Parts: sequence; C-alpha cells; structure tokens
Amino acid sequence: MKKTINIPLGSQHISLLEPVRFKFECENEKIISVDSDVGFVHRGIERACTTKFKFDAIGYVVARVCGLCAITHSLSYTAAIEKLLGGEITKKAKYLRILLLELDRVHSHMLCLSHTCENAGFEAMFMRIMGDRELVMEIQELLTGNRVQFDYINIGGVNRDISSEVAQKIVNNLYEVKQRVLGYMDEFTNNWSLSLKFKTIGALSLDDAYRLNAIGPLARASGLNIDVRNEIGYLPFSEVGFVMQTHSEGDINARNIVRLNEILNSILMCENILSGLPEGEIFTKLKGKPNGEAVVRFEAPRGELMYYVKGNGSAMLDRVRIKTPTFASIPAFSHIFVGENYADAPAILASFDPCLSCTAK
Amino acid sequence: MFDLKKYRKKSPWILHYNAGSCNGCDIEILASLSPKYDLERFGVINTGNPKQSDIFLVTGPVTYRSRERLVELYTQMPEPKVVIAVGSCTCTGGVFRDMYNVEDGIDRYIPVDVYIAGCAASPELIIDGIVKALEILEQKSKEMEKPHKLFREATSEGGIVNRRHSALKVGEIDEEN
Repeated sequence: MKKTINIPLGSQHISLLEPVRFKFECENEKIISVDSDVGFVHRGIERACTTKFKFDAIGYVVARVCGLCAITHSLSYTAAIEKLLGGEITKKAKYLRILLLELDRVHSHMLCLSHTCENAGFEAMFMRIMGDRELVMEIQELLTGNRVQFDYINIGGVNRDISSEVAQKIVNNLYEVKQRVLGYMDEFTNNWSLSLKFKTIGALSLDDAYRLNAIGPLARASGLNIDVRNEIGYLPFSEVGFVMQTHSEGDINARNIVRLNEILNSILMCENILSGLPEGEIFTKLKGKPNGEAVVRFEAPRGELMYYVKGNGSAMLDRVRIKTPTFASIPAFSHIFVGENYADAPAILASFDPCLSCTAK
Repeated sequence: MFDLKKYRKKSPWILHYNAGSCNGCDIEILASLSPKYDLERFGVINTGNPKQSDIFLVTGPVTYRSRERLVELYTQMPEPKVVIAVGSCTCTGGVFRDMYNVEDGIDRYIPVDVYIAGCAASPELIIDGIVKALEILEQKSKEMEKPHKLFREATSEGGIVNRRHSALKVGEIDEEN
C-alpha cells in the first residue's frame, strides 16, 4: 500500500501572489519530496527584446519583467548598454540611481516581511508593515512620478532631477520608517508566538547554501558572504556606507533579521546620498549603436541579477539574456522543504521571497 | 432567515488571479487592502476560493499556460459575478502585446465588466474600479431575480425585455447611425 499522499499547492492559492505549482509528497505531516513548476508566467520577453523593440526602448521593457525589482532590471540593462557605447555618466546620476535602488530594496523587503507574517498567520503584523510601507511608496512617487513601475533610468542618466523639498521629504519619511523598523526588530526577536513559527523552521546550513548555489538574503542568512554590491565597481556603494549583513542560523527568523538589517543599512545609505549629493547634470547624451558583448551584475532585493547583452552595431540587438535570482535559488528551495511540516510550507515559501515573473520572464 | 442578497452587496469577496503579470499590479492590490487605502471598509476580503467569491480580479496579459486556469476559475465562481481587469496589460496586452506566449488581454477568454488602466494601476484606481463593480454586482443580482420569460411581447411597457429583442434593438440603432 502506498503510504504517502500528494498535496498540490497552486497554481492559484491564497498564500501565493503569483502562479507557481508545488507538488508536495507527504508522509503524515512531514514533507518528503517536492516538485515545482514555475513556468506559468513565461511571456517571451527575451525574444521580444531582439525582434520587436529597438535598443533604446528595451530599458523600459525589461522593467516589466518584474514589478518588485523593476529598477534593478532597467539599471542592469542600461549599464550593459552604457558599457557597449563607452560613455561615462555623471556622478550625480550614479548617486540618484543608488538612491532609488535602495528605496526599492526597502519596500521590497518590507513586502516580503509582511507576507511572511501573513502566511504564518499573524495578520496584524501584515497590516502594520504594509501600512508603514506606504511611507516608502510615497517618496518613490515623489521622486519618480510612479509608485511601482518607475521608468526612472534611461541610457545616459536619469529622467528626473531631485528638488530640495523632495529631498527633505525623503529624509523625514525615512527617519519615520527607521523608527518603525527598529520596532519590528524587537517584535521579530522577542515575540513568543512568532518565534514558534519562525525559529528553527526551514533551516539551511552554510554547507548546503554553498553547495546548492543559494544567493541573496537566503544565503546571507546562512552565513555566506555574497553580495554583488561588494564586488562591483560600477556604482560607488562603498562610498555611501554599504555594510554586508549576515546571520548564522539560516532559518526563517534569520532571513527576517537579515532583511530588517538590510533595510536599516539601505536607509543609512539613502541618508548619506542625500546629505552628500554632488552637483551637476543628471543626463549625458551617449551616441552610437551598441556593438559587442557585455555582462553586468547587480544585487536585486532577492540576490544576484545578471544581464548579458550582445549588439551588432544596429538598432536591434542580437541577444539579451537575463539570469534572475530566484531561478538560481530553486535547488535550495526544494532542499529546505524536505523534512518540514506541511503546515509551515506557506511561511517557508514566503520567506524565500520568490519572484516567479522574474524566473519565467 | 438570512437575506443572502442583502449581504452579498455589503460584503463582496475577492478572488485574485495572476495570469502572467509583472507583480506590479498584484502588490498594488495588496497595498489597496492595507491600512492606508483600506479597501476592507467596503466589506471586501481577499479569498483564495473561487466558490465563495463575487469579484474576480485578474492581472496580467494571460500567458499561454494560465489561460485554462483563468477560464476554469471563472466557471467555478457562482453567479452573479463581476470580472475586473487590473492594469493595461490585462486590458489590451500592453507592452507584452504580440509576444509569442501572450494572448493579448483577458477579454478574449472571459467577459470583462470593469477595465482599470495604468501600468501599474494605482490603488486609487483599483478602489474606484471595485466600487464600480459593486454597482454592477447589485444590478446583476436584480437581473437574476427577475423571472425569465423568453419570446414575450416586446410592446409591454415596464416588462422584461428578452435578450433576443434587446440584441435586435441594439443592431437597429447601429444601422441608423
């Protein structure tokens, strides 16, 4: 007689923002194997980038790969094209790019934290964090003109300058967010009922994180020191006070703490940028057509994002290849699920912060 | 006894399905349910079960693999139901139009009652759309209560106009114009 039961999760489920299907094979409460299907959102963006759009429009198309890390996608593509065109952008434009990149990281991490709490059954915390997240959305709207899809970065600089009133508003709101985040830090470390759902659940050891190619906050929570912001010299992250955040436990709680620490670090970076924003133009006109190959890496909120762009000297590109963070982490996801209770599966899944529209493109 | 029709208007439940969007509209739907915009003051709650839902919120341009699930979810919802297309790409295909795995909008597959434009649709627009959908839901509930008598005389005033008659009438007006 067969002793296991199969439980499907998805493709439409209350705890999922996006269509993904997991097939859990369970023995009583324990998950013994997991099968995932991530291809529901495949739209064919890579193909359209080489056949439908010209190279100067693709920055706005690849932003629609993912709404949560839209800025990282358009920034990576733009950086690759700027490498091929061989121009140098101004320092002010670079600083404004980092500013929006870090604001995006703050709101993405807050969404992930609130979603993890909701899936663990703590609805009040979900509402609190989502309410405070609006402070960040407000300043993003002031800075770029839109709440989610910013279309802020173009080839050669950024699209909007920052005024002193907006800068002041950003500083005020970020101060408020910082106080709230310090409050969550207390809640996540000391709340007894949250600790039952989060501590020692869904643990990933350092060896497994290294062996299974985990990246982003998932790897940093296990103690692996990887962060692309530490490795690239394209944007001056070290000048604005970037510090890598790691944790040693590797469970859901560790991931939450890493995300909270990264939010605090990002807020510090934004404050440093605004206090020392260089003068100058925000846009440099770059001439010519892309010719040759370029590879660019950036740290999206979920981990390393890689762009490969190949041009042939005309307006249409030969190839655009996008390697997204969630795709690289899928082996680690499947490994973590094995041996856990099925009841914890939604919370574990939310703590990965998966982005399926990135993965399937 | 409970008057279900009355409570349906006071507390419509939402079913949300992502048919291949970029998450932008999905997080705006979450934001509109959260304290600042507070859609829940209309009695709206987000459920995962199609069989208990009244309003169907769809985001995304309908990819090749999600279309069967989209139609399946729609057919599982009980009448009366309202479909809202959230975001430009859900209405027309948007930036994804003519990509090889995309079906250019949901109205190829299911009837849509409210279209919400914008990339991404802002929470204010989503609230407007849902308030509009509540009116349509009430109208549809009333429509369902009326007894259907097909082939009734069209001349009776205030009576029910059957579907065939109303369809002909629309066609006549179009011919005149």
